[in-house]
Amino acid sequence: MWRGLWTLAAQAARGPRRLCTRRSSGALAPGSGATIFALSSGQGRCGVAVIRTSGPASSQALRILTAPRDLPPARHASLRLLSDPRSGEPLDRALVLWFPGPKSFTGEDCVEFHVHGGPAVVSGVLQALGSVPGLRPAEAGEFTRRAFAHGKLNLTEVEGLADLIHAETEAQRRQALRQLDGELGHLCRGWAETLTKALAHVEAYIDFGEDDNLEEGVLEQADIEVRALQVALGAHLRDARRGQRLRSGAHVVVTGPPNAGKSSLVNLLSRKPVSIVSPEPGTTRDVLETPVDLAGFPVLLSDTAGLREGVGPVEQEGVRRARERLEQADLILAMLDASDLASPSSCNFLATVVASVGAQSHSDSSQRLLLVLNKSDLLSTEGPGPGPDMPPHLLLSCVTGEGLDGLLEALREELAAVCGDPSTGPPLLTRARHQHHLQGCLDALGHYKQSKDLALAAEALRVARGHLTRLTGGGGTEEILDIIFRDFCVGK
Amino acid sequence: MFSFRGCGGRVAASFTKRQFPLPRLSSDSAGPRTPHFDVIVIGGGHAGTEAATAAARCGSRTLLLTHRVDTIGQMSCNPSFGGIGKGHLMREVDALDGLCSRICDQSGVHYKVLNRCKGPAVWGLRAQIDRKLYKQNMQKEILSTPLLTVQEGAVEDLILTEPEPEHTGKCRVSGVVLVDGSTVYSESVILTTGTFLRGMIIIGLEMHPAGRLGDQPSIGLAQTLEKLGFVVGRLKTGTPPRIAKESINFSILNKQTPDNPSLPFSFMNETVWIKPEDQLPCYLTHTNPRVDEIVLKNLHLNSHVKETIRGPRYCPSIESKVLRFPNRQHQVWLEPEGMDSDLIYPQGLSMTLPAELQEKMITCIRGLEKAKVIQPGYGVQYDYLDPRQITPSLETHLVQRLFFAGQINGTTGYEEAAAQTGFHSCCPSWSVMPSQVAGITGMCHHGVIAGINASLRVNRKPPFVISRTEGYIGVLIDDLTTLGTSEPYRMFTSRVEFRLSLRPDNADSRLTLRGYKEAGCVSQQRYERACWMKSSLEEGISVLKSIEFSSSKWKNLIPEASISTSRSLPVRALDVLKYEEVDMDSLAKAVPELLRKYTKSRELAKRLKIEATYESVLFHQLQEIKEVQRDEALQLPKDLDYLTVRDVSLSHEVREKLHFSRPQT
Repeated sequence: MWRGLWTLAAQAARGPRRLCTRRSSGALAPGSGATIFALSSGQGRCGVAVIRTSGPASSQALRILTAPRDLPPARHASLRLLSDPRSGEPLDRALVLWFPGPKSFTGEDCVEFHVHGGPAVVSGVLQALGSVPGLRPAEAGEFTRRAFAHGKLNLTEVEGLADLIHAETEAQRRQALRQLDGELGHLCRGWAETLTKALAHVEAYIDFGEDDNLEEGVLEQADIEVRALQVALGAHLRDARRGQRLRSGAHVVVTGPPNAGKSSLVNLLSRKPVSIVSPEPGTTRDVLETPVDLAGFPVLLSDTAGLREGVGPVEQEGVRRARERLEQADLILAMLDASDLASPSSCNFLATVVASVGAQSHSDSSQRLLLVLNKSDLLSTEGPGPGPDMPPHLLLSCVTGEGLDGLLEALREELAAVCGDPSTGPPLLTRARHQHHLQGCLDALGHYKQSKDLALAAEALRVARGHLTRLTGGGGTEEILDIIFRDFCVGK
Repeated sequence: MFSFRGCGGRVAASFTKRQFPLPRLSSDSAGPRTPHFDVIVIGGGHAGTEAATAAARCGSRTLLLTHRVDTIGQMSCNPSFGGIGKGHLMREVDALDGLCSRICDQSGVHYKVLNRCKGPAVWGLRAQIDRKLYKQNMQKEILSTPLLTVQEGAVEDLILTEPEPEHTGKCRVSGVVLVDGSTVYSESVILTTGTFLRGMIIIGLEMHPAGRLGDQPSIGLAQTLEKLGFVVGRLKTGTPPRIAKESINFSILNKQTPDNPSLPFSFMNETVWIKPEDQLPCYLTHTNPRVDEIVLKNLHLNSHVKETIRGPRYCPSIESKVLRFPNRQHQVWLEPEGMDSDLIYPQGLSMTLPAELQEKMITCIRGLEKAKVIQPGYGVQYDYLDPRQITPSLETHLVQRLFFAGQINGTTGYEEAAAQTGFHSCCPSWSVMPSQVAGITGMCHHGVIAGINASLRVNRKPPFVISRTEGYIGVLIDDLTTLGTSEPYRMFTSRVEFRLSLRPDNADSRLTLRGYKEAGCVSQQRYERACWMKSSLEEGISVLKSIEFSSSKWKNLIPEASISTSRSLPVRALDVLKYEEVDMDSLAKAVPELLRKYTKSRELAKRLKIEATYESVLFHQLQEIKEVQRDEALQLPKDLDYLTVRDVSLSHEVREKLHFSRPQT
């Protein structure tokens, strides 16, 4: 009867390939024995967001983030102030739950942080967690996998397998693809290429340096490339302005000719009387700042003096400060009086401020501008509206509140572009992941020195490459061997 | 000591090969007493000898079947053992009490550690070996191994029976049929022979079959394997010509002297059999543009290079080096073949040009102006069995209890390939070699693992599998059995993820204890030694961690160390040991009461120094290793029906692949 199986077995022999482990297919995850963290509730704005950690460093993470540094009682919700361990800056007042393993979801030590659901808070907590030694963002499906590995999930072995395969191939690939769109992906791929090549050359020197004649200067070239990469990565990480905006708030500056209604808008948006409002032009003479939450984004809203020439020294100073603030703005709310568009001050403002920012916005410097025509209530319903050569704009009446919803929606879109919208596209986690792995890469490169022990130096490059290829995909040893055999004449 | 009456032709452990009559086994003389072994090993090359002795060490009654007993231990073309990566494998084979390292310590003529200045994790232990000595010593060892019987004979066919229902595979092997029609039964069979692999020898435009044409038995075996559905691929490789020693002008060449002192391959040896000053030197020379010219002018006479069959990416022949990297000088190492051999092996000059052009080319090279070619170089093409058809324990998926080991699986440098097809440089001429075809070699590490697992299978014990996190053997077998290979697989340290953890110095800590407990293939003496070393290392490291002084105190104690005194935190002795200029002796002088005991064993002191060097990285690697091992520990049931299982997000393609490859984890 076993003869009947011949055909099947013959087929079996033709196509065997293993899929479900990563052991030989690529470099291993950097720090994969580490503690992982992730946003466990859905992305986007919500009342409460849940961030979870799993792994041996969970308790340490909890202690570091919470002000009273003792662990709360196990499996009891406790209120704690979370703060950033690097800056000490408070992040949120949150409910924390401590689940010592093995009685937890994954079977490991776990912590849940129930925080307020704003993107700034979530991002802040994720980044704070990422800065705790031994913690790294979770890979797709990793919590489930850990739970499965500890026999915590009541799934069949097959479902566990599906998780493995799904998490390690499909989801990872999709996630990698999503992340790889755009400038950052391009940068990462370039860095990974450079690093892979440098590593391949060091590896070639180790495996073939004695028996075969490699050209001179292989190691020196690798040194140069690694140093250049360090500089590039360092510069990139320092320039993480978007993350900064999300943490500390985007600068939104309200500007316009005098008496356009700037202060009214500021008061409307902040829902409190920040600025004195009067019909008299030039009422606001200094820059008035107020932190507000606009559509879930932290914003530093600045009211400024109306822009005009030829006034007294005090107001002139106010105008100077307004222009200065304008230069630092991430988003400019340019206001005009809809009933006064033909006046010289309005025309001048349109020609200078609005046009120049509009021209700029096509280039890389990403100052953004929204043109708002206030006092729409003063426009006669049948009278002529703003002319056809008017740039794109929004109509608003600070008095009646008409058009406010439209403005808020436009603000949300603009702020999302300025801060990086956590609720669509690459999730918050992605940025935490990027930052984590780029920083990890940079740290590892710091350990690469041309020490006498080349195996140690190569290890630093391997770890660094592991971090980059977590972002870009790839990273197998075959890539290294391909480069070695392409670039060098090695072998017997 | 073991011998079957009525089964002449077997050599029991006490027999010598001289007493070896090889009478045919006729069915009536064997009568009803059909011989029965636990394990039969087919082929007497490196893999075969390692497999047979490993199975016997595990307690299995083992039969080694080889074409000719006097070719056992015949070295393959290359007169050397070890190298970068390969030296790691030898240390691991030794940790499992395998033969080749110990035999090499008794047979070398030039011992040298490669990569000496690049860090102990990537040291490559290497030696030039005396062929005659190696063969002598190997035969002595084989013929005195308890439970191991050696018999001359060629295998015609496998005896196949109904499969065991609890395992996959469509049938089960239960013995072999020899060419004379007699049968030998066994519980497991290990195939390390390549006779059926259709080797072809190529010189210039000539092609010769490497196996003897009338070699019926191997054809029968090959047909059986093909009928069973084993997938075969084809590889090509080559070997250099051999040059008469006295015709070379060594005086104008770079001389490479051996290490002093020599570092032995085996954990059981303090030193090698020969003093450094008695060892033979190697010499280095280079090719030049005239060599390139001869290659390029004669490509039309060189069918091996023209063939499209895929060769290794690392240049196997001087022709492909010239074609792929023109206008360069390529290294040629002139290596001795033995103490009293008058042949020199020019490593780096493997070629398939017509014989008369080979001498013309060689005499263009510095030092070889008057060189006489004794045996021309040649190319080899051969079939190999796709290694994806075997499990990590080296048992085939298709046939239960049938194990493959060695070069049959595509593991090789060219030397194994040539030997596989029966060519040996010690022979006076290549043309007489086909008579020696009976499956000569393979690789030691494969052999050990196959031997152990064949034996464990007999005793219904779980397989002995080495993971990628435990050894180079694990990396090699995992790469081959999961990814397959399209070129002869060569071990590189760059293939190894946990290179800093899997070092030549600590192979015993990684494998000897497991080998003793799980496989039973390790002697008591070796086991005790490895245990002592492991616990001494652990104790030593914890003592080194516990000793803490301020950096200025360390500076006073060990002035030669470049310790920065600006650090205010106390410094552990282990961190001081990381400095290049500090060793256990200088530390023991500084803190004698606690540390002197760790300098009494030179071996221990050296290994503590290595552990300190890698300490910070090893901590992180250990974490990763644990994570990988956790994934590996997930065992998938062998009979899982991947095609019909529900509620799982698997694509149809993935299902089919899983169905065929049946990964264990």
